[in-house]
Amino acid sequence: MAKEIFVTGYGIASALGAGKEATLSALRERRTGIAPMRYLKTAHAEFPVGEVKMSNGEMMRALRIPEAAVATRTSLMGTIAVREALEHARIRGQSGLRVALISGVTVGGMDKTELYYLDFLENDTKNAYIAAHDCGACTEMIADYFGIFSAVQTISTACSSAANAIMRGAMLLSSGRADVAVAGGCECITKFHLNGFNTLMILDRKPCRPFDAHRAGLNLGEGAAYLVLEAEDTLRGRGAEPLCRLSGAANTCDAYHQTASSPNGEGAYLSMAKALEDARLTPKDVGYINAHGTGTENNDLSEGRAIQRVFGDSVPPVSSTKPFTGHTTSAAGGVEAVIALLALQHSFIPVNLNFEQPMPELAFTPAVTERPPVPLRHVLSNSFGFGGNDTSLIFSTL
Amino acid sequence: MEELILQLKQEIIRVLNLEDVTPAGIADSAPLFGEGLGLDSIDALELIVLMEKRYGIKLKDPAQGREIFTSIRVMAEYIHANRTK
Amino acid sequence: MPQVIRKYCHVTHRSATVNGKAFPVAEVDGEGKFLTALYRSLKIDYPKFFKMDSLSKLGFLASELILRDEEPRFAPREDVAILCFNRSASLATDALYQVTIRRGDGCYPSPSLFVYTLPNIVTGEIAIRNKFFGETSFYVCKEWDVQQALRMAGQILCDGRTRAVLAAWVECFEEACEAFMMLVDTENQPGIPPEEIAFSTSKKTTWKN
Repeated sequence: MAKEIFVTGYGIASALGAGKEATLSALRERRTGIAPMRYLKTAHAEFPVGEVKMSNGEMMRALRIPEAAVATRTSLMGTIAVREALEHARIRGQSGLRVALISGVTVGGMDKTELYYLDFLENDTKNAYIAAHDCGACTEMIADYFGIFSAVQTISTACSSAANAIMRGAMLLSSGRADVAVAGGCECITKFHLNGFNTLMILDRKPCRPFDAHRAGLNLGEGAAYLVLEAEDTLRGRGAEPLCRLSGAANTCDAYHQTASSPNGEGAYLSMAKALEDARLTPKDVGYINAHGTGTENNDLSEGRAIQRVFGDSVPPVSSTKPFTGHTTSAAGGVEAVIALLALQHSFIPVNLNFEQPMPELAFTPAVTERPPVPLRHVLSNSFGFGGNDTSLIFSTL
Repeated sequence: MEELILQLKQEIIRVLNLEDVTPAGIADSAPLFGEGLGLDSIDALELIVLMEKRYGIKLKDPAQGREIFTSIRVMAEYIHANRTK
Repeated sequence: MPQVIRKYCHVTHRSATVNGKAFPVAEVDGEGKFLTALYRSLKIDYPKFFKMDSLSKLGFLASELILRDEEPRFAPREDVAILCFNRSASLATDALYQVTIRRGDGCYPSPSLFVYTLPNIVTGEIAIRNKFFGETSFYVCKEWDVQQALRMAGQILCDGRTRAVLAAWVECFEEACEAFMMLVDTENQPGIPPEEIAFSTSKKTTWKN
């Protein structure tokens, strides 16, 4: 990092519940959020999913948004998570600070477009949702709710979107273009990408089993999570308490295939190695890796090999928390950053649920016990997206 | 069988957007993946869709596809034996 | 050293220019065939081009126009980043894919179309072709702002890993099909003045009322 970047707050909504307390207790009690489909109406109800257990109406009431307002599920989840993050960091109203919102999203307002597409074509009753369709509109809707953001950016790099938003937030602070960056991502499950992942034949009909020899694909999830990032001068100026540091970040390209990861995980290897370099750390400093670990045959093998290339014989505890939340796609980098921060602050390893059989190709197995061998000081979170877009973030204690 | 092979080549050229390839340019027994036409994992999934849409054959597992899509001839033989439309 | 523009290009559905000079395109074979004609005129052999959606084709061709004379070509590079912007993300392909998942029999969602419903695939396509292992990112915003793109390229160039950035506006939806791409670095001072490429992007798409 060119400048020291501190985390002063975070917020999350996922299948584990809304809020960091619900998330922490589910992780510690090994309670998965994956369940039969309840909120999404689709012909493909056979797939278990990690839905946020709230209807749009419930979210609107929780946010005191009028029932008739135009809102998408993704923007509502995003607003819930941003609100918690801002409260956690004690940023309110007109602070005189330049606060930027950087949000990762890919499917955007597709949930409403799926519902109202025929209305768009045949009548004018739902036209307000046309403008809510695209990704930029999703970030604008979140920003409008708070009315405190001096700059708004939308990043769309598939399943690494939120991690890239966090990296971009740090860059805005380093270059002095903002005082505070609220960065993360949001995405609701839609028929659009449920069908898409199904045609790619990478959805498991059973609960997903990352890093297991018999893994058979991913479970889709949804959610939103954001971090509040600040540099030291802003922190001091407003007398805020830092929680921990974002000490390193890197994004690299696998440059191998549009969707498949390279057999030896070149992009993943480079993103982890360069994030360590950025944090001026060595592999042995890392106490826990929150892997991308989707549960697909391809990702887990490629990522596993990349981890071995970086960490050699001393791989620290590794887990994928997607068996808890499902793969929250554009939000995953934010959701898993928050999980990594909870692990760091409470010094525990979120376990890799559903693991039974080691992968014959790998020398390590994922973590199944909570207790870290040594207290955690540095944790690494991987988020990889189609397009070969690989990001690693490192969070450290103060 | 020869007619099916020709038809299959035309279908594959169309669905996989093999712009500069002609049916005559695809040898019946040449490998479709890696060497030969140089198809990839997404092409394989698109062929699975083709099998269902055009010939009524539903493949549940991409690994099954890998065995069937070794060459045009192997694919045509499989279709001939299993087609439902 | 400040970041400067070393080279730039502009591609629409009817013309291509490099550093402001027209790139000759021969034999445009009918309506909507300009990108294919441009591909042929570039005299490259890359069959994967024909599998791409319009957004990726556009970005890919812009990158070819910029990189074709670079030496050495295709040597793996970890220090080149790709930074793309547009307004409509992958909307054109989203609409095509949506048609394939409507309810009912005879509905066969296409995996290859789904892949291109991610706008950042274009950055992956350019990286795959050129073996660029550096940063890739894609932003959705209202319009092309050369100064902002330059500034963000400059921030990436400060990361201690990146030595050159391909920064581009790549928009493809209905009548708006347009790419501006520039190669940005800090080593070729004084570079091309940004005013020279400060084109304004085409009018708003019809989709947004």
